[in-house]
Amino acid sequence: MKNIKFKITILFILAPFYSFSCLANSSVEEWKPQIVEKMYVLPPQHLNKVLNNDFNKSILALNLQNKDELIKNKIDKITELSSLLPGASVEETLEIKHQIIINKRDYIKDMNDLLEIKKQKLATKKMIFNKIQKRINQKSFSNKANNLFLENKNNAMERAKKIDFKILESTSHNTSKKSKYFEQYQVNKDAINSLKLAIEKHPMSKQNVLSKDPKNKVEAIRSFIHNIETEIAVLEMKEQIINYMAKIVALDAMQLAESVSEINVNSITNNSNNNDPTNVISIFTKS
Amino acid sequence: MKKFILNSIVVLITALSSSAYANSIDALERERAHTVNLILDKTISIAERKSRLEKSKMKLLDLERMIINNKNINKNPSYQTIKAFENFELTFLVHSSVEKGKPLAITWFEKIGLTTDNLINTKVTRK
Repeated sequence: MKNIKFKITILFILAPFYSFSCLANSSVEEWKPQIVEKMYVLPPQHLNKVLNNDFNKSILALNLQNKDELIKNKIDKITELSSLLPGASVEETLEIKHQIIINKRDYIKDMNDLLEIKKQKLATKKMIFNKIQKRINQKSFSNKANNLFLENKNNAMERAKKIDFKILESTSHNTSKKSKYFEQYQVNKDAINSLKLAIEKHPMSKQNVLSKDPKNKVEAIRSFIHNIETEIAVLEMKEQIINYMAKIVALDAMQLAESVSEINVNSITNNSNNNDPTNVISIFTKS
Repeated sequence: MKKFILNSIVVLITALSSSAYANSIDALERERAHTVNLILDKTISIAERKSRLEKSKMKLLDLERMIINNKNINKNPSYQTIKAFENFELTFLVHSSVEKGKPLAITWFEKIGLTTDNLINTKVTRK
């Protein structure tokens, strides 16, 4: 009994600290995805997939899985211990309750770590999307300065493309020797055109509209960031729930400590009752 | 000293990178000047001019195509490159002449304002 009382007292002292620890950042491994040039070109959906794949390979993902397993085990254990309560004696009940409180405490700690990992994942993703959005904005700003030149260049390309056939016709009766570049130009141009046509006809090409239109890309990235922010807000609410859970566990511990002390008081009272001569009269009157 | 070396490296890299883009434009400008020179050369016969112009035209066409299809010049175009694309008819003389269906010489004369009407008007003014 003394042993249980000692354990409960320690638990009672430690319980409030666990509720505070929920608010503090736990030391979890970081996820630092490598930002490569390719990421700025990828359409947002593919970028999301790339990031998720990168996360799945990280230590953070492994930690997330481990925490998931631990939480599942804790829940199973708490359920199992709770099922033992109805048929248990007073001392057993105290011990089971004590074990339940310890498991609940561990569950809260693991759940807090899990939420931290999830939050870290979302924060990293958000940071990457923000960087990409910034880069697109910078690019579109510098493009504006270059716009006139690019317009002229595109016009020149269009005009040259339109007269390619005319050039071929007009040079067909040219007596001078054609250069290697001239010969290769037509062959390569035909190959490029057939490939461009194949790209346009490709079913995935229609899905990749976002990668072509920077405005749409920015919009898509904004919506991704918004979704991440929503998820973070949900996680913060879950953290609040964890805090309340921690408070309930602390209160449970207090209740358990009080019931243990009550039992002790009762046993002391019972002992004192035996010391009263009026209470032991029956022993003496029995022949 | 370190700052000076760093600045020198930056200037050198900038010069080298811009020269890489400008070289093709320079070559085109040179070849076009050579073609115009041939058009205006009175010391050669008509047949010789025609034959030499044909060769020059082919060379000019290659250079024009190289510049039009060069995607590298999109990044940080030099002033010379920007101006070259602003004047398509003058810069890409062969393309322009094919587009208009007129000889190279006529295209160039027209572009710089030496049309028959203009010359007649000049004559009238002199009287």
